[in-house]
Amino acid sequence: MAAILEVEDLHKNYGATVALNGVSFQVADGEIFGLLGPNGAGKTTLLSIVSCLLAASAGEARIHGQKVDLDNKELRRQIGIVPQELALYDELSGRENLGFFGRLYGMKGAELERRVREVLIAVGLDDRADRRVATFSGGMKRRLNLGAAMVHQPRLLLMDEPTTGVDPQSRNHIFEEIRRLNRAGTTVVYTSHYMEEVQALCPRVGILDHGLLIACDEVPQLLRKQDGLIRFRVPAVTSVLRSRLGQIPESRLVEADSRPLEIVCRDVKPALAQLLAILADLKLEVLSLETEEPNLERVFLGLTGSALRD
Amino acid sequence: MVIWTLAKKDLRLLLGDRRAVVILLAMPVLFILVLGVALGKDQLRISIVDLDKGEYLQSAGFPPEKWSKMFIQDLKQTAPDIEVEILSLDQGRQKIDARKRAAVLVFGPDFSRKVSQCSFLQDGINPFNRSGVNLALLDAELLRDETQGTAAAIIEQAAQVTLLRIILPWMIGRAFEKVGDPAFLDLLAKEEQVPSMVKSFLNSPLIKKEQKTALGAGLQNALQGLFAKYNLTGKTWETLTQPKSAARAGGKDSGKSALSQNPATDEEGPSFLNRGDLRYQSLVPSYTVMFAFFLVLTVGWLFVSERRQGTLKRLRAAPLSRTEILLGKMVPCFLLSLGQGFFLLAAGKLVFDMKLGHQPFWLAAVVVTTSTAAMGLSLLVASMARTEAQVAIYGTLLVLVLAGISGCLMGDPELMPERMKLLSRFTPHAWAMDAYSQLLLRPEPNLVLVAQACGVLILFGAGFVGLAWWVLRLD
Repeated sequence: MAAILEVEDLHKNYGATVALNGVSFQVADGEIFGLLGPNGAGKTTLLSIVSCLLAASAGEARIHGQKVDLDNKELRRQIGIVPQELALYDELSGRENLGFFGRLYGMKGAELERRVREVLIAVGLDDRADRRVATFSGGMKRRLNLGAAMVHQPRLLLMDEPTTGVDPQSRNHIFEEIRRLNRAGTTVVYTSHYMEEVQALCPRVGILDHGLLIACDEVPQLLRKQDGLIRFRVPAVTSVLRSRLGQIPESRLVEADSRPLEIVCRDVKPALAQLLAILADLKLEVLSLETEEPNLERVFLGLTGSALRD
Repeated sequence: MVIWTLAKKDLRLLLGDRRAVVILLAMPVLFILVLGVALGKDQLRISIVDLDKGEYLQSAGFPPEKWSKMFIQDLKQTAPDIEVEILSLDQGRQKIDARKRAAVLVFGPDFSRKVSQCSFLQDGINPFNRSGVNLALLDAELLRDETQGTAAAIIEQAAQVTLLRIILPWMIGRAFEKVGDPAFLDLLAKEEQVPSMVKSFLNSPLIKKEQKTALGAGLQNALQGLFAKYNLTGKTWETLTQPKSAARAGGKDSGKSALSQNPATDEEGPSFLNRGDLRYQSLVPSYTVMFAFFLVLTVGWLFVSERRQGTLKRLRAAPLSRTEILLGKMVPCFLLSLGQGFFLLAAGKLVFDMKLGHQPFWLAAVVVTTSTAAMGLSLLVASMARTEAQVAIYGTLLVLVLAGISGCLMGDPELMPERMKLLSRFTPHAWAMDAYSQLLLRPEPNLVLVAQACGVLILFGAGFVGLAWWVLRLD
């Protein structure tokens, strides 16, 4: 599929501070692309440049082949941005907010009214549309924040940590709406430092750290770079047990004083089945057992040596 | 179109902001109301202790009353803005001691007798000295509160002028009567410079007393003819300063008829608000101008909240240019300021009965150009401030300092010393007040000055907007 967004060797410096250091990636038309990284990794800076809010120090971003620059009004019409912070007028109603933002993009009259109604239904706020936003809960404001970026039906939706401080119900609502938008043809770039969200929503992910894109691939491919883990305790670790565990394919045993035994394995499920069979065979009681499937958190840890939420 | 969309939204937010309504509309009306009432009437109050026993000489039925009464009536006639308060001596002293009065004029028991004795003749009292009238010679005294020197000096000058106005015509009239007196002819006959023929005539035993009296009357008439613009026998300032023929046509010259024309009273004005008083002609425009610049706070808060709410980011991400965003902010500021200006002038008219003059077009022009300057300054402050606290602190400071320098804070720039008036030229307020005072205080306003002030206000506005454009950072 053709790329809607191309980022090429993008640099951004704030004085001596390097916010982006040669970031390059592409987002295909119709894709949900996740940008994962800890706070301060450069995600917001990257989105600001792509959404024509900030000039790059070097490199360029292109949308549909057009170079992104601060004065390109036509390009802005194709972009919707959901800022990290709520960006709504508290004193206006939900309907007035959406109407106002729609008019900024040239919408008017019956078309605008219809579209505002559609968006209100989509974000589940049609029953409270005429109440002042100041009276909304945090989750409702987040949903409206998303709605405000959707009114003008952008081709590319840039979402900067859109679920910050959101309750699970509103989060699910937002996720459903993102998927629905995507099915309708909107390309989504979704940034977050919550790896569960990105993993659940985005088939393809880029991992950003200290201004560098350290990985960019489909999620299964990224996960494949990490091993699974089985952690367990038994009353006594005998040489027979060590010998049997060593026979589990594509795995290795890690032992440390006073810590549970760990089996690092390529695939957790078959390894776990074999472990349980060995323990039963040796009549060893299992004192504790836990497993860790490979996830983006561990991918990040593996790539950077530090946890994602540090 | 998109500018109007932005403007409509801001207008909606501004009009829904009770804080803005209070600051821009209610506060100035309240200030005008409080100052209008607190300043009392537009009057100079002169407190008098009248101990005058009223022992006086009458000449041809003049004066009709004792001289202290003549003084009081003349004082009231001087201007309707002078309020006369009669006190007892104890009250007068108490009020001076309590600093409730700057000065109290005391007429002693012999005041009428002493004034009666005032004359240009050798045996009369010459009440004049370098300062005007020597009060001590007339058994009068001015009690002063030395801590209110300026106010006491104003009262003293008003009293001096009134004394001159009642004593001088009295002395002239009496002196003129002497010209026709046979005793004067006897004196004339003794003068060496007088030709011998005249001396012989005056000293001749053949000349009867009646003939001498007729000669005196002739001399009087000749002198009166020579000074035809004055009625030298008038004895009051009013009759002295008009031709005798006019005085005759005007009726009897008793002084009483003229005095009764202006029945000024000691009573308070007709209403609590003193509606229609002259003070409102400067109070209303002063606070209209001062509070026009309070727009700085309202617009500053609007800008800052746009940043704080993150909506500025959405505006920047939308297909809008920087110019459109700035214009979208300028239009509602300007409209709000216009609304405020016209509202306050209307309130001035309806609540305080301020006279709007005869130049409505120019009055509107002053409102429009003042709003231009206020809008410019508001945008400049809004461009620089990053937080609501900054807007509140710097905005209030700026607005109050400008209002203080321009004199608007005091409700009347004319109260300022000349040096401050010169400094005030650097504030838009002073130019706006120049225009307003021409239009609201002068019967024939100088429209060139009004136009000049409007031009300067536009320049202020343009300068502020230019600076705001330069300073404004949307990111």
